Amino acid sequence: MELMPNFQLHRPETVGDAIKARTDNEEALYVAGGTDMLVNVRRGIEQPQNLVDLSAISGMKSITEDSDGLHIGASVTLKEIHDHEALVKNYTAISQSAKAVAGATHQMYGTLGGNLCLDTRCLFYNQSEWWRQSNDYCLKERGDTCHVAPGGKRCFAAFSGDMAPSMLVYNAEVDIAGEGGIKRVPLKDLYNNDGLDHLTLKPGELVTAVHLPQELAGDPSSYEKARIRGSIDFPLAGVAVRLRKSAEGSIEDLAIALTAVNPYPQIVSGLEGLIGAKLSEENATQVRDTVRKQAKPMRTTTVAPWYRRRVIGAIAKRLLEELAG
Amino acid sequence: MNEIKPTQSIGVPQPLVDGPEKVSGKALYSSDFIPNNCLVGRIFRSPVAHAEIIKLDVSGAEALPGVHGIITGEDCDEPYGVLPIARFEYPMARDKVRYRGEPLACVAAADVETAQKAIDLIKFEYKELPAYFTSSDAMSKDAIDLHDHRPGNIEREVDYEIGDVDSALKDADLVLEETFNCPEICQVQTEPHAAIAEYDAERDYMTVRASTQVPFYVHIMLAKTLKMNQSKIRVIKPHIGGGFGCRTECLNIELMCALVARKAKGTVRLVVSREETFITHRGRPETDVKMKIGVKKDGTITAVDFQVIQRGGGFSGYGVVTILYAGSLVFGVYNFENARYKGLRVLTNTPPPGAMRGHGTVGVRYAFEALIDELSNQLKMDPIEFRRRNFLSAPTFTANDLMINSYGLPECLDWVEKKSDWKSKRGNLAPYRGIGVAASHYLSGASKSVNWTGEPHATIHLKLDWDASITLLTGAPEIGQGSTTVITQCVAEVLGLDMTRIQSITSDSKVTPKDNGAYSSRITFMVGNAAINAANNLKQVLIEAAAKKLDCKPEDVECLGEVYRAASQDEGMTFEEVVLAALEGTGTLTVKGNYDTIPESHGTKKYRGGAIGGSMAYAYSAQVVEVTIDPETAQVTVDKVWVAQDVGKALNPLSCEGQIQGSVWMGMGQAISEETVYHNGLGVSGSMLDYRVPSIIESPPIEVGIIESIDPHGPFGAKEAGETSLSSFIPALTNAVADAIGVRPIDLPVTPDKLMELMEKRESGQKAGAE
Repeated sequence: MELMPNFQLHRPETVGDAIKARTDNEEALYVAGGTDMLVNVRRGIEQPQNLVDLSAISGMKSITEDSDGLHIGASVTLKEIHDHEALVKNYTAISQSAKAVAGATHQMYGTLGGNLCLDTRCLFYNQSEWWRQSNDYCLKERGDTCHVAPGGKRCFAAFSGDMAPSMLVYNAEVDIAGEGGIKRVPLKDLYNNDGLDHLTLKPGELVTAVHLPQELAGDPSSYEKARIRGSIDFPLAGVAVRLRKSAEGSIEDLAIALTAVNPYPQIVSGLEGLIGAKLSEENATQVRDTVRKQAKPMRTTTVAPWYRRRVIGAIAKRLLEELAG
Repeated sequence: MNEIKPTQSIGVPQPLVDGPEKVSGKALYSSDFIPNNCLVGRIFRSPVAHAEIIKLDVSGAEALPGVHGIITGEDCDEPYGVLPIARFEYPMARDKVRYRGEPLACVAAADVETAQKAIDLIKFEYKELPAYFTSSDAMSKDAIDLHDHRPGNIEREVDYEIGDVDSALKDADLVLEETFNCPEICQVQTEPHAAIAEYDAERDYMTVRASTQVPFYVHIMLAKTLKMNQSKIRVIKPHIGGGFGCRTECLNIELMCALVARKAKGTVRLVVSREETFITHRGRPETDVKMKIGVKKDGTITAVDFQVIQRGGGFSGYGVVTILYAGSLVFGVYNFENARYKGLRVLTNTPPPGAMRGHGTVGVRYAFEALIDELSNQLKMDPIEFRRRNFLSAPTFTANDLMINSYGLPECLDWVEKKSDWKSKRGNLAPYRGIGVAASHYLSGASKSVNWTGEPHATIHLKLDWDASITLLTGAPEIGQGSTTVITQCVAEVLGLDMTRIQSITSDSKVTPKDNGAYSSRITFMVGNAAINAANNLKQVLIEAAAKKLDCKPEDVECLGEVYRAASQDEGMTFEEVVLAALEGTGTLTVKGNYDTIPESHGTKKYRGGAIGGSMAYAYSAQVVEVTIDPETAQVTVDKVWVAQDVGKALNPLSCEGQIQGSVWMGMGQAISEETVYHNGLGVSGSMLDYRVPSIIESPPIEVGIIESIDPHGPFGAKEAGETSLSSFIPALTNAVADAIGVRPIDLPVTPDKLMELMEKRESGQKAGAE
């Protein structure tokens, strides 16, 4: 492990105090489970003078259910999510996503909010200070060259959270707390298609909860990720599919979202034509090809982008067929 | 009346003697030693892959309060290296840097923040040179030399022929050739490298604790680089979190730690990161194998013609030995008389690899076993049957004079064939499921050590004192492989005592006899035999003492472990009484035992470097692997492994099983996911996230069969147990994949992207054929 630098640790007990600690202090960062962020701190990618630890805030740790749907605090751990009965039953892909994050111990520490706000990843970025310095840093951090696409002025670091695509197919909304209070926005509005600045959060803003709508509860869904190892690895490509069928077996509603193949978790567009149709080999293949077209993996991992594009389509098709029965 | 019996220790599953400390967290590893006023060491590493050093300015760092010492290449002009013929590496670069991450300076400071600040203040001016990250680039005509004395960047070229390969290939009914690429891999042992050096300035005395497999070699290299008398140095090896060959030679970590401790006139603790452990490397080199094999219709091998190119990194390390092993150990598994080998060890601007588990043999064994699988297919012969047609018959010497007295390969193959239900599965599994077989061998200790001193190959001391306990003193490094347990078992068995009578002290140069180290699977064989010899010598002393007291001839004394008696009706003496009798007049006794290899095991004189590969005995392994392939993602799942290894005699069946499983598992990593990746010489995969050691999810059930061929020279018949089964996994896996999908992966590792490419090529080929 690299050296852990000195910083001041704040442990606020309310959301308001957390926001205050974050905005009142220079170079402050929120930390929840820390499974990803502390690695970046040790590597000098983040050099916070102040860390605002969210674990003492009691209001962000529960899952509640009412007539509107399910409400999950941002500090709920991934393990709690994959074990939660209502999530397993009514929002299956979300529970599966939680179980797919890293390894079992990470899931006990890692939180929903942390995973949704996960920094984007790139093999030229997630390296030690010595490494990045030896490679003249990069567009995303302290440098002016993108090593993935030299000459380009865009950052292609890939969003690699497992939770977002599954939440997106359920039209999740998030609560964002800021100095002006709490606002509720669709989860998709949390993200920008920019590896450098992929979150729309303003300085100090904090994701406090996720809401899942009641009307989609019980829709069959599934999440699968491609990776080299069955544990630990971030997704090379991840797909969430939600499919609602009519009694006759035709498609009533279909949503697909992707992760790890773009700087943001992406909702697949252009699936409307399938509504009302019965799933056939032909239209499943069409979906596969649509997914492959919209996924834009770049050389941000050691695994070839063409494979990630091939496999993300293949997984989407498989999940779709499995859900169609 | 209860029958008095000596306690049996050999062949009985024994938990490791140092297990309780490890599982309870009490065991101290190098980095656990934090003496008072200990300084923190930190290394300044080259940011570039190949450059002339113009200036290294450490004045700013030296002036920083809290910095107690800084050393650079200027502080050490003595090169080090494991092979006396290839010592040209310095603890810190002097004229040039030759790989990214090569140490340039080392700081000792009061705390880690100060040490890092000092590192940040070092200014490095350099003139960049063309850098070569592949063997072919380094060998290209216009490449400049990394080292002046290694023209063309060739560390070693090996070229020999045994028999007449060209005519034997002409005689063959079928000849196949293929070129295999095995990327570089690393051990990723649990414990990153660490050293603690305490310099006693008053006495000019150095004590070093280090995470090493070879404290003796470290001792020699410390004396050389510090220019200190060997008698002024003490080397201690604490508990170790794995080795697997990454610490089979002295590393720059130990040397820098001692050099900077002397400069700072204090104690320095140098614990490096995982990334730095990757950079220090000494893993398995990237190996390209071009393999050609000719066979008769009946399956007998007529000739083997093969070439190996190893990317050797910036310095030699074990390189010369690695490229020689790759040639010599093509022999010893099957019977053939004709072979031609051309090996090239190339110097490149990457970190230097070393002697990783299965040293030198793995790439070649993979290529060989994959190619004979294809040969069997084309001959329409069962691959197990094919192998049977080519068995050796022990005792024998191979065409390159490897001495083989025990050969359990036939029994290994029988075992895996039966247990895996091979006959009903091969060719009959569902689509995308497959089964493959392969075999391998490995030596039981290199017969000639690299630093030949004329001393016995192994020495054990047994100290017997008034309390009737036996202290086993051994320099043999326990690195988690269970060597101390095995040595204890050997002593206990000979004396008929319970193992708890014996406590061991290991690897402290002030206390324990010199030992060459933990490498080439030598300890059980060499040190085990020395332990038997020592125990027999001690037993003789005890018998003579008992005879005196019992008033009989020594040959009439019956040794029953805890009781020595003259005749069965005699009550005899307890062990304690015998010990006191033995110490009468002499006091505390230390008895020793030695072991030496015999000249017949020293390899061949038919070609230069022919001693490499020579061993007293060879262990054998056969392995069947069953796989399933996901047709959509091309992910390979290893469903089950059946592995049988001829270990000669399983001294400790429990640790034999563990070692065999560990070998299979490590082979699996190389086969399916592991690879070091570089970006212009910068290691991209320098963490446990990006370097993909298999997780528990990938770990299949492994059924282990232990075959005992009882080697005539082995300790109680034992041979190697910890490396042999690594290399057979890899070809067994690719053979299984070929069985599953009809297309053979050639390049390692068999990751889903590579396999999908192959599957798609096959599909488009089939479609093209159909049209």
